[in-house]
Amino acid sequence: MSDIVLQTVIRFLAPFMQVYGLYLILWGHNSPGGAFAGGAIIAVSFLLGLLIPGPQSRFLAWRQTVQWLAALGGMAFLTLGVAGILQGTAFLTNFLGQGQRLFSAGLIPLLAASMGLLVFAAVFSLVAQLLKEYKNV
Amino acid sequence: MSHLPVLILVVYFAAALLLPLLAKLKKSFPGWGALAVTSLALLLSIASALYVGENGPYSYFPGGHGGPGIEITVDWVTVLMHLTINLVGVLILVYSLGDLKSELHPDSLPAYYSIYLVMLAALNGLVMAGDLFNLYIFIEICTIAACALVAIKPGKLCLEAGLKYMFLSTLGSGMILLGIGLVYMVTGELNMGALSEAIPLAFSSYPWNIYVAMSLFIVGFGIKSALFPLHVWLPDAHASAAAPSSAIHSGLIIKVFIIVVARLIFQIFGANLFAAIPAPEVILLLSTIGIFAGSVLAIAQTDIKRMLAYSTIAQISYIFMGFALAVPSGIMGGLLHIVNHGIMKSMLFLAAGAIIYKTGIRKIDELRGIGFRMPLTMSIFSIGALSMVGIPGFSGFISKYYLAFGALEAGKPIYVAVILASSLLNAIYYLPIVVRAFLGHKEGKFVWDQLPWPMATAMVIMAAFNLLFGILPGSLLRLVELAATALLS
Amino acid sequence: MFDKLLANLHFLAAMLLFIIGFYTMLTDSNLIKKVIGLNIMDTGIFLFFISLGYSGGPAGGEANPLPSALMYGGLAAAVSLTAFGLAMIVRLYKYYGTIDADEIMSKRGEAE
Repeated sequence: MSDIVLQTVIRFLAPFMQVYGLYLILWGHNSPGGAFAGGAIIAVSFLLGLLIPGPQSRFLAWRQTVQWLAALGGMAFLTLGVAGILQGTAFLTNFLGQGQRLFSAGLIPLLAASMGLLVFAAVFSLVAQLLKEYKNV
Repeated sequence: MSHLPVLILVVYFAAALLLPLLAKLKKSFPGWGALAVTSLALLLSIASALYVGENGPYSYFPGGHGGPGIEITVDWVTVLMHLTINLVGVLILVYSLGDLKSELHPDSLPAYYSIYLVMLAALNGLVMAGDLFNLYIFIEICTIAACALVAIKPGKLCLEAGLKYMFLSTLGSGMILLGIGLVYMVTGELNMGALSEAIPLAFSSYPWNIYVAMSLFIVGFGIKSALFPLHVWLPDAHASAAAPSSAIHSGLIIKVFIIVVARLIFQIFGANLFAAIPAPEVILLLSTIGIFAGSVLAIAQTDIKRMLAYSTIAQISYIFMGFALAVPSGIMGGLLHIVNHGIMKSMLFLAAGAIIYKTGIRKIDELRGIGFRMPLTMSIFSIGALSMVGIPGFSGFISKYYLAFGALEAGKPIYVAVILASSLLNAIYYLPIVVRAFLGHKEGKFVWDQLPWPMATAMVIMAAFNLLFGILPGSLLRLVELAATALLS
Repeated sequence: MFDKLLANLHFLAAMLLFIIGFYTMLTDSNLIKKVIGLNIMDTGIFLFFISLGYSGGPAGGEANPLPSALMYGGLAAAVSLTAFGLAMIVRLYKYYGTIDADEIMSKRGEAE
């Protein structure tokens, strides 16, 4: 009986957690937050479902493929940094400038988004791997 | 062209991210991919050395704003350490291509190479960090990667050693962070260039902050680089790890932390402040005890890798002694010993790993006559052993010569006696292995040891560098002299 | 003297947390408690740093964001170390059946 309660609560809670995590990532340069906190919260929203036997356990099988997302996030970060080098100034310069319409801080939200992807993939695959070993023991 | 040091980091991190995924496509890719990336980084560091040779030392500011902030300092110390780290990293990686399949679980090979590349990136970043924020981040990356390199080998000894190393190293990191906090509290700056000007002002109003911060830095970095009473994690970690991991731990990781604390003390706090609290005397005392304790404990060991680990403690104490003497010759001796011991100790650990790979023998008593079954490995081991004792003609002699010269220049001739006595102790535990290996059998025919070619090639190249730096040390001495001047200014 | 203590209460609390975490990491024999001690020690340092950025409330202007940024990186390091330590403890438990460091040392002594 407790399973159905937990499952329903998690099914309600997960979208809110993901939106909050996205908010933390994208506004990390202006208010407390940033890539680590936001990425961890998004990962936890998936991981809560893994702890209960139920339909959310299918995410366990994704723990290897999620590592591709980690590589994508990391490579995006490094590419954005090297783009600053190619432009002639230095690594990680803010070449988009400030005062754009959507991303008013230039490069920083893009860097935060790529780091958020990396942190999400890392936390998710780490805890999912530990859970898999625990369930097999 | 001034972007080269940052490109080294970018290349390492990009490869570390991509290697485990590309390994799923082709099984043998991670080793050769890691080798390609490390060779590329070595070429980049050579190019960076040539660039600094033409244009002189410079500061690089990521973020492109040009003012004080996150800074990357590229001076002669950085160039020297980059060359050492990448060269030794390449050679150990070549060795591991032949050796790791027998030591690790085959599924963890891509992860090993990934962690190895992150480790090299963190070491490269540590020696070029120009502000305390950058420095702390690279210290943490280095700690986690080093701990992973020890614990990745299957078996409970490695796990316990890795866990012990992690706890002690985290204590050190906590102390370093607290020291950074104390310095930031009174100066408001994190950039090393700005700090070197702000600390004398802060010292006049808040002396205790600066004293406590300096002590915390010395103890924190001392835990990570195995200064004498804080060395307790080292024998377990270095003896139980896989051969390439032991080699990179003993050869590179410990030394880089000494370089970092030397840079902090000489460039931020200044040598006068360093001598005000009696830090040089304390470090000299601790390093003398460490030299003798390390050598005496090494004599008592029966396992060959444990003996090499205790020998590392003694050699690290030499380097601390060289830096604590705070005169140009002493610092040159310390830097030379960092480079030479990096090559020597890695060579010795790789040779011990080759013996374990071929015959499975770990106890020194069972090594009688092994020189006839593995002549190449034992000759390389002999070159390393003679170099550690300090026989002229090998590179260990040059660094001990400069250390003794530094002791004389600082006006403390007792340390020359310390160096001579400890060289005798080194001979007591190294030479019996060499003698017993070659002269232990009544009659012997040499059988060529058939090692996989990566292992043999790496060891031979390291021995060649050892002899080169021992017989023709000219260019190395010029580079080290520039680095010592840069460190003291 | 007492008002000076009250004015620096946050530093005092941070140092107290640091010392409690340090002592736990060194002396407690349960491995999980050592990891908890690691976290408490790091929490003490975070409190120390972040309180350096305090500027005196709404009347004092903006707070200094630099210490928070530094601690951000430190937090990622603390989380990674905790995860790593706990993973190693899980594997060690599979080998020995206990997570008490003294019992592990005695079992190692018997085996050798």
